[in-house]
This record gives sequence, structure tokens and C-alpha cells, in this order.
Amino acid sequence: MTSNQYDAIIIGGGHNGLVAGAYLARAGKKVVVLERRHIAGGAAVTEEIFPGYKFTEFSYVVSLLRPEIIRDLELPKHGLKILPLPSTVTPMENGDYLGAWDDHDLTRREIYRHSPKDAEAYDEYARVMARAAKAIKPIINLIPPDPSSMSVRDLMGLLKVGQYAASLSEKELYAVAKLATQSSADLLEEWFEFDALKGTKAASGIIGTFLGPRSPGTAYVLLHHYMGEIDGAFRAWGFAKNGSGGVSGSILNAAKALGVEVRLNASVKQVIVKNGRAVGVALENGDELTSKVVMSAADPKRTFLQFVEGKHFPDDFVTALQNFRTRGSSGKVNIALSELPNFTALPFKDKGHDSALHRGAVSISPSIDYIERAYDDAKYGQISKRPYLDMIFPSMIDPDMAPPGQHVMSCFVQYAPYDLEGGWNDAKRDELGEAVISTIEQYAPNIRKAIVGMQVISPKDIEAIAGITGGNIFHGELLLHQIFFLRPTPQWADFRTPLKGYYFGASGAHPGGGVMGAAGMLAAKEILKDGM
Amino acid sequence: MTINQYDTIIIGAGHNGLVAAAYLAKQGKKVLVLERRAIVGGSVVTESFGEGFTVDSVFAGGSLRPDIVKDLKLPLPKSASTSPTAPLSAKPAFISLQPDGNHLTIDAESIKRISEKDAARFPEFVRFMDKAASILDTAYATIMPRLPMNFGIREGYGLLELGLELRLAGRKDMLNFIRALPMTAQELLDEYFESDVVKAAIASVGIHGFTLGPMGAGTGYTLIHNWMNRGGLSHVNVGKAGEITQALANAVKSFGGEIRTEIEVKSIKVESQIAKGVILANGEEISANQILSSADPKHTLLQLVGAQDLPPEFVWHTQSIKMRGSVAKIHLLTDGKHGIPEGTLAVAPSIKYLERAYDAAKYGEISEKPYLEVTTSGNVVSIHFQFAPYALKKSSWQIEGLKVEKLAIDTLAAYFPNLKSSIVNRKLISPLDLEQTYGLTEGDLNHGQLMLDQFLFMRPIPGWSNHKTPIDNLYLCGSGVHGGGGVSGAAGRNAAKSLK
Repeated sequence: MTSNQYDAIIIGGGHNGLVAGAYLARAGKKVVVLERRHIAGGAAVTEEIFPGYKFTEFSYVVSLLRPEIIRDLELPKHGLKILPLPSTVTPMENGDYLGAWDDHDLTRREIYRHSPKDAEAYDEYARVMARAAKAIKPIINLIPPDPSSMSVRDLMGLLKVGQYAASLSEKELYAVAKLATQSSADLLEEWFEFDALKGTKAASGIIGTFLGPRSPGTAYVLLHHYMGEIDGAFRAWGFAKNGSGGVSGSILNAAKALGVEVRLNASVKQVIVKNGRAVGVALENGDELTSKVVMSAADPKRTFLQFVEGKHFPDDFVTALQNFRTRGSSGKVNIALSELPNFTALPFKDKGHDSALHRGAVSISPSIDYIERAYDDAKYGQISKRPYLDMIFPSMIDPDMAPPGQHVMSCFVQYAPYDLEGGWNDAKRDELGEAVISTIEQYAPNIRKAIVGMQVISPKDIEAIAGITGGNIFHGELLLHQIFFLRPTPQWADFRTPLKGYYFGASGAHPGGGVMGAAGMLAAKEILKDGM
Repeated sequence: MTINQYDTIIIGAGHNGLVAAAYLAKQGKKVLVLERRAIVGGSVVTESFGEGFTVDSVFAGGSLRPDIVKDLKLPLPKSASTSPTAPLSAKPAFISLQPDGNHLTIDAESIKRISEKDAARFPEFVRFMDKAASILDTAYATIMPRLPMNFGIREGYGLLELGLELRLAGRKDMLNFIRALPMTAQELLDEYFESDVVKAAIASVGIHGFTLGPMGAGTGYTLIHNWMNRGGLSHVNVGKAGEITQALANAVKSFGGEIRTEIEVKSIKVESQIAKGVILANGEEISANQILSSADPKHTLLQLVGAQDLPPEFVWHTQSIKMRGSVAKIHLLTDGKHGIPEGTLAVAPSIKYLERAYDAAKYGEISEKPYLEVTTSGNVVSIHFQFAPYALKKSSWQIEGLKVEKLAIDTLAAYFPNLKSSIVNRKLISPLDLEQTYGLTEGDLNHGQLMLDQFLFMRPIPGWSNHKTPIDNLYLCGSGVHGGGGVSGAAGRNAAKSLK
């Protein structure tokens, strides 16, 4: 019989929970990770939805995973293999396309074909963005200090932030300050004139966010997506072997190898509090586990409003968590295909049944106004009639994802508002699927007849399946008033909570979402600092 | 060496130009203010458009910082200086017009009829807003040094004071103030109120004068800004904006300064990156030791100086300043039987209504269902119309003027049926007029949008918020610099104080 006594209990077996568990076990602690579902991985899972067709249901690309985590946990040894995504192609409404390839000169020539002026600006833009992303990178690993506090720890933290700011050149500081506050449309319009280029770049600024590209604050989200790193190659996106499940699978293996116990189908009912301190958890099945500390890797609303009774927190804190924004804005449409979609802009080659674009991403983002209008629909509670899509064909990169000769296609779709007028139901799900298919059809007319099976995931489904309140892929929007020392709420951004022994280390904490793992790692380190 | 007749030339006799001039003249400087128009005041002006048709043409009323009124000994009534902490009840009413024909006054007593809960929360909201406004006011009064390292004790002291003010606000208010700035007005108001009617009425103040909707990030900041500028929700001193600038002009003269009207500055004379004087439209040159421009930064730097005398990157940043006016003013002279009550009235029935009005502006179109704010002074009814973007995508202001006039009157007449028959005379000021007549580039009332990327040390452009420019002896003192936006006079005061 396994004992139910641990040093640390981690609620949630997503990538952050597993990372935290692994770091704690690495420090010699006895750790259990509790996962509600029958598989670990949270929103980074790969499942066989139709026989023979495997999908990474939610998260679909990898790049933000912190390199120090890959190194510390020796993830490649545990099965992490990242395959590069070599291109992004944006088909245009006039039948032409804009390609971004993994060859810089090729991309520059491609932009030149559309706008010599933009090709000129492109290099300098890339340099400025890379510099800004590099400049803010140290912030990722900072523990956010509370600027209103007088405690030694917070004052030291503020000093660190100050030192960091002083280490930047004037130019870098202003670039970061502007990026943190402006809209991605304003940013891009300063640099470029070509619509498809601006639209495609602006798309990074809205992913996972309930804002349009003209909303201030979206340049920050754009920058957040710029911080990707694969094998030390800055600003690169990749696809994990066996999908995103491959990422969390490798972390799971690493955690297990370090001695972490992972319990599946272990749904947490409540955190047990004794004498003002978290001392364990009660499961839905009646089991009780005790521990010195409990860390939640669930979203902030579940962590603070569901698992713990309100009486253990100050009223202000509860109100602040109620006000935390978690409006899901995106959905996923996973399609099993008998053949690849044939894009008129870059049709199949003579003999083969693929073209240069199928190995990379295809983005439906012909202009900033196109995306902004998609947002207009959503802000009044409607599914975008013409949504922004980011599509990849995982079976082209990893043939194991589909039966031989067949394909799977992953379509990230925005906007699909969580708070849909009239609520989500099967008819609305069909409406979302249809919006996606009819949009793709404009660019690849064969799509409809190639469909073997289709899974439509709304933000409600993300909430129900992955357990993320509001279905927001970042566990809470990356808004300026919800980042750094304000994430998830002021005074409690250092992974601690008003309840002693209870910690919080997930995407809803600093530094935020994307399959990054930083929150789990930082929380584990803070837990160890406090001693247990 | 020639000795200049003037120490300082100030371009533009708007309120900021006059404030700067008065401070400098008071210090004993020989000051000359040059104004293109026949009347001083810039956009803080009361003008006549016909017999009995006297109106605040651009800003409806206005009020200066109390310290400016005191320092310059301006003979102004107390109401002409904003004090964010004066009780709301002592101010004119702020009324939201309802589609059902009712009028809701935004105060705790009237809100009670819609929502007991909101009425109970209202005093706390007012308390927070007053506090936030006073922190913002301190920030505006603090000259922003060049960051990160380039400041001495004098500037550092100002920042220290600002930091202290923040700390003294208390932990909760301090953090809530920081949080509120990047929020949307809707989000901020969601935390206090449940009634959409109440939220929309207050949110309209947050977008007043800006090209943003209440669902747009950063309208938390603009709501606090306008709250500060108006000393609450409603406009004060309607029909008397010109008194403020007249009083300032008199102060300049009483301190020995000189003001010349109908003198247009064509360019600023620059030699070896140093400003030497101004060249007038009539060809005359006037030299001075220092030039202060209260014109907007784009006009000052790109037109009066010119790109050839500025570093290329600086020019690029200046071109990128977001000036996007989308306000038209429609002034109506009536026979008095319009039926419109005194106070500030808003046509802002719901958050979605306001946001949809803004959506039009995003695509360069005029709102079919506009947000209006109406101020009445005797027989004169002034309508502030949003959104009427300066940059129309499919048309031009030569064609659209009549349409906006009609839309404004029709929208308001739906609430006040007697309005139409009572109109005697009318005057439209389109965004193009704001540019051509009042010298506001792209019709932007604030010389640049108040957005967080054009805020504090990033206003007008990053690194140049200390009133300096790459041209020695040329300074900016208008609304486009930190402290500016609205009618507080902080930009002019700060500019004067920043000069050695």
C-alpha cells in the first residue's frame, strides 16, 4: 500500500505541474502529482481522436519551453525531440501568397516581391524585436516583487528590477516600454505597408487574447511569442515528435525517473486546511493525502476560488481573483484528411500531393483589418464569420500521426468567444467548424471533400476537458494589468498565497502561458527557498 | 555679437503657451508670444459666430491647475481651477440620456433607482477616482527626465516625490491605480457596477476626445485623465473657456510680456542644430535666445523645423506620433426653447453602443450612431460628436460636414423634440477645421493621443519628455508633451520650470 504522506502535493499534471514536481523531487523531496484526467499533460496532450489519426488536441507548437528546464531535467534523454517548422505561408485574397521561409534571404526576397520598402525595413525590424525580446528575457526568471511592500525580500526584488532596467541601453528600455504598451497594429504600421505581412505579424499579438490587433497591449503578446528558442536558436518554432504530448510526455518521464509519483484519475475536491495552513488535499473519491506543502498548477480561479474555501482568504483577495480575466477567445478544429488541402496560391507539385507550404504553418491573416473585423464579431459575443486561422499538418512532419497516405491537420481558430451569445452547444460548435472550413475553402477548394473526421473544440470544451476556467489558453489573458507583479493578483505574484503552505505555479502566474514551464520551475524554487 | 531683443519667443497663444509665457515673464524674462489667429486661447477659447452666438468653440469649459492660478495670481473664480477632491455634489450635473426618454443623473441618489448595489458602490468609486486623479495630477506636475540614467538630483527629486505620493496613497490604492491604467474602462467599471447604463455613462467620459472605445485597453487611464481634467464627470465653466485664456494673456502682459496676434510663424530658424529665432509668414525674422513651441510636436518638428535639420530616427519617431482626431463640434444657436437641461449630457446608452460608435473610426468611417456629449449655455447648445475621424477612408470632410451636422441634430432631437424648431443658427467645426483653423494636426484635441505608449517619459516620443528637442534652445511646451492633454496648463508650467 502506498502511503498518503508526502513532502509536496502538486495539483494538476500539466507541463507546469510536472516541471514543479520534477524540480522538487530533484531536491530530494517526496512528491505526488495529482491529475484529474486519465492522461497527464494538461493542455499539452496527444490523443487518438479518430482511429489511426492522432492529434495534439490543444497546444500544437513548441518554442517557449525554457532551455534551462530542457537541460536541468535532461528532457531529450526522456524522449523530447523537436522537429522544426520551416515556414509560414499566408495565402492572400487575390490568389497570391506571402511566404516566410527558414532561409532569411529567401524571405527577404519574398517580401521584396510584394514591397521593396518592407523588405528594406524587415531586417531592422527583426533586429529591434530580437533585441527587445532578449532585453526582457531576464524578467522571465525574476520573482516579481510587490512594489507596495516594505519587506526585505520585496525591496531586494525591486532593486533587482531596477538593476535590470539600468542594465538596458536607453534604446532597449524605450523599445521594451513601447512594446509593452502599444497595439500590434500601431507597431507594425510604423514599419510596414504590405497588408499580408502586417496581418500575419499582428496575428501573434492576439493569440490567446480577447483583443484585436488595434487594441493597446497586443504588441506585448506579440513580443511574448517572440521569445521562442529551440536549441539556442532564438525565435524559432517547432513541432514536437508525437505532438505536444511529446513535450509533456518527456517531462512526465523525467519526473518519474526523479521519483515523482503521478496519480491519474485523481480529481482534487478540496485543499485541507488546519490551523491556517494547507496540510493536504481531499480527492473526489474520498481519499485524503497529507503533505508539508501543496502547490496548485490549475488555473487561478480553480486554485483560489474552488479548491480552497473562501474563508481562508482575505475578502480583497477573493474579489481580485473574481476579477481576474480569463475570457477564452480561441478554439481548435482538428481535421483528419484523406488528402492535403490544395492551396490555389501554391498548388500541389506536378506529381506529389504536397507543396512547399505543407511542412510549415499556413496562416489566414490577409490584413490587420481582416483580423480586427474577426475581433469585432467576437467582442459582441459572436463567432468570427471570417476567423484568423493558424494551420499546421503534423503528419507531414511526423508521419506517425496519421495512417499511411492520410493526414491530420490542426487549425487554431480565433475568435471563438467563451461568452458566446446564447451559449455554446452542438449547433454553435458546428457553426465554428463551418466558419473554419468555408474560410479554408476560399484558399483550398478541395478541403471539404478531403475531410474524414473533424473535431471542433470550443473554449467551453477546453474548459471541460483540460480543466481551464474560461477556456483561456494562457490560464488568464496576458493583459498589462495581469502580468508580472500583477499576475495573478497584486501582492501575490511571488508564487505564494495568503494561505500558508499553499503555492501557485501555473500559466496563470508569472511569466504566463505558452508551453514554457517557467512558472512551475520558479514556484518549485520558491517552495524550496521557504524550506519544508 | 548681436543682442537679441527677446529672451524667449513662444509660438502659439494657447493656454499652455500663455502659462509658459506668464511664468517666464514673471521671472523677468523678455517674452514675446506669437499667435497666428486674431484671438488668443488656441483651443481654450470663447468665440462669437454671430449675434448672440458666443460659444466655447473647442473645449467645453475648462479649468487650470490650482497652483497655476495661485502662482500667476489669476483673477479667476474658484471653479476655474480643478481640484479633484472637491465634492461631486458641488459640481454641475452629469446626465445620461436614456433611449426610453428618461434622464439618469449620475449621482448616488439617482443611481439608486436603477440599482441599489451600484448606488452603494458609487461613493467608493468616486473616492478611488479622486485619489487616482490626484496621483495622475502629481505625475503630470513632475517633469519626466530622460530615462534610464540621464538625470541629475533635480529631476530625480521630482521622481522621488512622485514615488512618495504613490506610496502615501496606501498599498491598495497604489496597486489599484497601477492596475487601472492599462485596463479597459469597461473592466474598471465592471469592478464597481452592475448596471450597463451607469457603466456606459461613466465610460463615455473615458473615451471623450480620444479615438478609443470603452472596450479598448488603456481607457482606464483616459478615464482617470478626464476625471482629473474635469474634476469629476461633468464640465465646469461652460461658456467661459475664453475667460481663462484672457486672464492668462492679461497676466503675461502685466508681467511685462508681449503678445502679438495675427502673426504666423512659418519656420524656426536653425543654424548648426541651434534655434536662433523664427521666420514669419511675412518674411520678417525675429531672433531670441530660446524658442518655446506650444504648437503640437508634429507641426513644430516636421513643419516649423523640418526633417532636414533633425536626426533621421528622431524624424521617424515624430512621424509615428499617434494623432488621430475623431471629434466634430456642432454648435447651435437656439431661440431658447430647446428643452435641454443645464449640465453635461451624454448620449451613451450602453457600452456596446459606444464601442460600435468607435468601430466606425477604426475603418475611417463616421459613426452612424454617434456618442454625443452636450453642453448648454443659455441659448447655445454645443454638441461634441464622436466618432468623426479626421482620416476618412472613402470620403472627404468637404463632403461629409453636412452629414455629421444632420446626424448630430437628429440624434439629439430624438430626446428633445423641440430642438429642431428652435435652431436659429449653426456652426460646424470638423476635424479638418480643427486642423486648419485651430492648428491641431489631424484634428487631435490633445496634440497626440493619450495612450500608454505616449505617456510619461514616452510623450511626445520616448526620451524627449523633458521639453527638449534635438535642436538646442528649442523647447516644447504644448499639450503634446508630458503633462499635456486637456486644459490643466501643466505642460506650459513644467516647460517654464524646466528652463534654466
